[in-house]
Formats: sequence, C-alpha cells, structure tokens
Amino acid sequence: MKINPQSFFNFCASHTYLLRKLAEHDGEISEFETIRLVRSNPAIEELPETTWRRLRELQILVPTEPGSEFYLMAEPVARLLAYLANEANAATPEMIRGYVSSLEITTKRLDRSLDDQDTQQVALAFDEISQTLRRIYADLNETQHAILTEVARYKTERSRVSVRQKYQRIVHWMERYVEPMIEIVRADGPLRAAFEETERLLHRAREEALFNDHPALARNLRFLRLVGVHALRVFTQCRKEIQPLYESLRRSSFIAEGAARALEKLQAEGLAKWGSQYLIGIAMERYQNVPSDAAITLALRRIIEYSPEAPPFLEFTTEKENPLALLRLRWLDSLPDAVRSIVPLADLLGWLVNTYPERDTSEIVAAFGLLVFHRDFQATFIDESQHTYATHDGEITASPLILAST
Amino acid sequence: MSELPHLASIFDRLRRGYHLGPDDEQFSALCERYDDYARYFDALGLKLVRHPREFFYFEPDNPETVPDTLPRIAAFSYIIVDHAANQGRPIEEFIFDQSFLITALPHLSMDRYAALLRDVEVFDMGHINTLLNQMERIGWIRRIGEDEFRFLRPFHRVLSKCLEITQSAQTAQATANPPVET
Repeated sequence: MKINPQSFFNFCASHTYLLRKLAEHDGEISEFETIRLVRSNPAIEELPETTWRRLRELQILVPTEPGSEFYLMAEPVARLLAYLANEANAATPEMIRGYVSSLEITTKRLDRSLDDQDTQQVALAFDEISQTLRRIYADLNETQHAILTEVARYKTERSRVSVRQKYQRIVHWMERYVEPMIEIVRADGPLRAAFEETERLLHRAREEALFNDHPALARNLRFLRLVGVHALRVFTQCRKEIQPLYESLRRSSFIAEGAARALEKLQAEGLAKWGSQYLIGIAMERYQNVPSDAAITLALRRIIEYSPEAPPFLEFTTEKENPLALLRLRWLDSLPDAVRSIVPLADLLGWLVNTYPERDTSEIVAAFGLLVFHRDFQATFIDESQHTYATHDGEITASPLILAST
Repeated sequence: MSELPHLASIFDRLRRGYHLGPDDEQFSALCERYDDYARYFDALGLKLVRHPREFFYFEPDNPETVPDTLPRIAAFSYIIVDHAANQGRPIEEFIFDQSFLITALPHLSMDRYAALLRDVEVFDMGHINTLLNQMERIGWIRRIGEDEFRFLRPFHRVLSKCLEITQSAQTAQATANPPVET
C-alpha cells in the first residue's frame, strides 16, 4: 500500500489546524512558508522539521514538479478536507463540458464495441460511463452547494463592501457558472444529447445480450435519467435563488453609479457647469403677472369715473417768433464766447447780473453753472463775505467767484 | 369632472412642488381617479405624473429655470445614495427602512461630502436643516421630532434620476465604442 491509512489519519488527527491552514493557502507553497506555518501551529511533542518531513512522506504535500522546492496540497487530501469542512467548490462549465465530451467519446467506443460484439470493451465502456455519471452528479451537487452558500452569504453579510463590488461578484457567479451551465444541461443542450445517446447504447447492449449484469445496467439507466433531471433542476433552482439577488444588486449598483457620476461631475467642474442634467425638476408654479384685487378695483374705478374730454389742440402752422426756450438756449450757448475775451473775471455772478439785468434768477443760475463747469474755464471761490446780487425777479446771496481761462 | 374630490387641496399642494404619496389623505383619491385628474390638469396646461412607485407630482413646467434649492437638494440626495452604496446593503433598503439622525448624517462629517456641499453653498448644520425643511415641503422626507427624519416614497425620484444618469452614460459609452463585429 502506498500510504499507511492508520499513519495518515493519526497524523491528520493531531494536525487538524495545520492542515486547515495549508488547505486555505491558495496555490503553491514553499518549504520556508510551510515550516513557518508549522512553527506557528506547533504540534505537541514534535519538532517542526519532523512535521515537515511527515507532510511529504504521507503525500499531503506534493512537489509541483519533480525536484521543485514548491509544493501543493495533494488533490485527494484537499477534496477530503473540503468534504470534512462541508465546503464546496463550484464546477466550472468547462469541467461539465469535459465530462460531456468524455461521455461522447466513451459512447462512441461503446457503439463500436457493440458492432464488434467485443464484450470486454463493452464492460470497460460501461464502467467508464458509470464513473463519469457519478462525477457529474457529485460536481453538480457541489456546485449547487457553493452557489447557495454564496447567495446566503450575500443575504446575511453586513460587511462594508460596496453594492457595486457585491454586484460585480454576483454577476461573476451568474455569468461564470449559472447561465453557461443552464445552456449545457437544458433539455436541448449537449448534456441531454450525450445522455440520450448513452441510454440508447445501453438499451442496445441489453437487447443484444452483450452485457449481462442486468441490475448494474438498470442502475446506470436510472442514474442517467436521474442525473439529467437533477442537473437541470439544480441550475434552475440556483438561478431562482440568485436571480432576485442579482436584480436587486444590479439596480442598487446602477443607482450608486448614477449618484457617483453626478457627484464626480460636481466635484470636477463645480456648480456652474453641473448642468440641469443632474437636477431633479420640481414644479414651482407661481402666479405671475396676475393683477391684484386693488389693481382690478383701481382699473374699474377709472373706467366708471372716466369722463370724455376734448383732445388737446395742436398748432400745425409755423410760429412767427422764435420760442422762448430756444432763445434762452442760444443765449446760454453764446456765453462762453462772450466771456472768453474778458477773462479773468473777479466776480462771475456780479458780471452776469450787471451784464444781463433783464434775465431772471433761473437763467442767471443756469448761466453761472454752465460757465463754472465749462472745460475752457477754471472757477475759484475766494474767501470773502457773501454779497447779495439783485436779479430781474429776485436776489441771490453768494460769495464771489473768480473765473479764469484754463 | 366637477366632482373630483380634494381638487383644490391637490392642486394647491402639487403646484408648489409637493409630491403626494401614500401618507397624504388625497392619495387614494388620486389613485382611484388618476385619469380624471390628469385630464383636468392637462386642460390647465399642467401634467400630472404618476410615478411607477405610486406617487404623484406635477411635471416641472420649465426645467431650464433652476431655483437655488434644486442643486442643494440634488447634492444632498446624491450624497446619501453614495453613502448608502458604501454600506454594502441594497440602497432602497438602506434609505427607506430606517430613520436618520440629523447629527449622524455623513454630509458634514466626511471631508469629501462637505467639500461637495460647499460647492452648492451648504456650509453647516443650519443649512442642512433648511435643506431638510425644503425637502419636507416637497414631500420627500418627514421629520420625526427635531433631530430625526425618514425618507418618504417620493424620494424615489432621486433614485430614478440616478438610473437615468447611468443609462445615458452607458448609452454614450456604447455609442462611442460600438461592439466590433467579427
């Protein structure tokens, strides 16, 4: 016997924690890492070097290639540990397709053997078919278990993993396992076709009396039907389990993406360029341009109290004399030229009143303002007591002002 | 048509931007005779919208006119959605299945969110409270006492907007990178 079962299980029993750690380690592991693991999980009364040696002797760890310093946990041990820990690894669609191909090749060989009436080959093909079916069945169960565990984990997990990450993970399960697997196992898929062909050949073997173990034959036929139905049921159930979660996470993920995009835009470009695309419009109907009660009352009163009156009379004939306003404007316009030849003036207001005694107060003040602010002249107040200047229609009290040219 | 119940109060609330949901007394009347109300308001040039999640509001007349409150409400809402997404729970469950303590909101306690709010001129808890009052006036939240509030069903308008943004981004991406035919 290659490995003594007693030694193997005794070792496993006293090193369960170490084996668990080795099983959790993904991929190959070096001698150094293994010894570190051994030291951190010491067994009672055993040197780490002894543990390391026993791990190799019992073929729990096997080299990745002959002479390599890197090791892998032996596949049967890994499967045994997964089985003991009730852990399941999902079968990939490629694995199931591999089984289907294997079944197809075996059925072809069975077909040929039946043609040749080679009972030895028929028996071998029969055994191979049995093994393949059992593997398919076991892998299907394991896949279902893995998917349901994953779904349950999502439903109960309250860790702070964002919904977008969760969605990506569930999409992975959906797209990697469930959907492609349903394609394989559905009623018109390759698995069912391979099974039907196998069933036909098994019937033929029985009819042609080339395989005489009738109970085994009947068992295989039953198993074929069972696996076919089971496969479809397993993945339909998985899809039913995973679909609501998928939809919910998909929706949440899209909502989260929308909010993140909106905030990113605000952060990057500020409010001015955020744009109405990201705003949620809200009706804000306001009464605009609607007259108030007071305005309506006023309008009505104006209508009621309106009494017609004749329109103003407009004189369309040419006036004989220049209008007074025009004359006044012309006088004002002539003042700068009149003053320019006699500046500087020691008392501008006095000069205006004396030179134009016929002008009234408003005209004198207008002339004073025009000359004071004219660009050609500069006005300077002098610190003298106020004078009173008599005009045509009144008097003005002011301090004298000197006007000079600029 | 003249016998439409609660017509005046429905009109009065909807025209001010309120969203009528199951918590409002006029809701059942609107549910039962939505078509009649929609026709009535249509004649006045107002479009009564029935959201797929069952609440009602007037379609905004002129979306180009943006009151100051809209960007603030939008930024506040996107932040709560972003925060919900980071908690790892389905967003709708997070938002609608619990009440929120105003002091425990992430809006001002996280630097990134506070900076975003500054862009829309929301600087402190006083501004947050004003914002919440505005959201209560349009029927998106209900205050529970001074320090707590719940999101109401019409807050789904924000979630619908998020989906719309994602969809248009994906459409734009698909247009920019069409699938290569082999």
